[in-house]
Amino acid sequence: MTKTAVTNKIRRLRFDHGEMTQQELAERIGVTRQTVNAIELGKYSPSLEVAFRIANVFGVPLDQVFSYAAGEKG
Amino acid sequence: MSFREKSAWITLIAFVIASVMYVIHAGPHMLVPNPGIWTLHLIGVSIAAFILIELIAHIVLWVRFPKDARTPRDERERLIELKATRLAAYVYVILSFVVIIAAPTHGADGFGVGLGVLLAFVLAEIVNYAARIIYYRRGV
Repeated sequence: MTKTAVTNKIRRLRFDHGEMTQQELAERIGVTRQTVNAIELGKYSPSLEVAFRIANVFGVPLDQVFSYAAGEKG
Repeated sequence: MSFREKSAWITLIAFVIASVMYVIHAGPHMLVPNPGIWTLHLIGVSIAAFILIELIAHIVLWVRFPKDARTPRDERERLIELKATRLAAYVYVILSFVVIIAAPTHGADGFGVGLGVLLAFVLAEIVNYAARIIYYRRGV
């Protein structure tokens, strides 16, 4: 499986926001449920715009959702 | 599995079935440099089979998943399509180049070269849809 160097806390944030489903988050940020799943699993790094939309949904800054493990992927 | 991954599976399977149908019926005639204009009807039948499989399978898909079918492509799906199409374009250009250079030296006429280029297109499309499925599964 291709993993990105970007990790995220989306699963945790969904849980903290009333166990929001992937489908609900997907509808709010304008992507498919499968894309939310791919982002959560680290199989896809979203665009900056989608990343900001995710952070907006949870009402937190971007760096509380995503972090970058420098040097893990060239 | 997303709607567009299912759609990619359908198209891949349709391409493979149509190609296998053609290869089985054309058989040894494919290996000669000048396969003859009569193979056109085989190509026509294979294209008809491809369109039929695509239509029926996609109608079933649209009926079973109407909401997913109406959802526009998101950025990940667009990226997957772009990457797979780019890979397929390389395959098509390289195979076409090989056919155009090599076929005349083996005595193929214009029709034989055209058939070779068509085969290159089909192989490139198979690569295209196989790559999409791999990107959907493994990540992009």
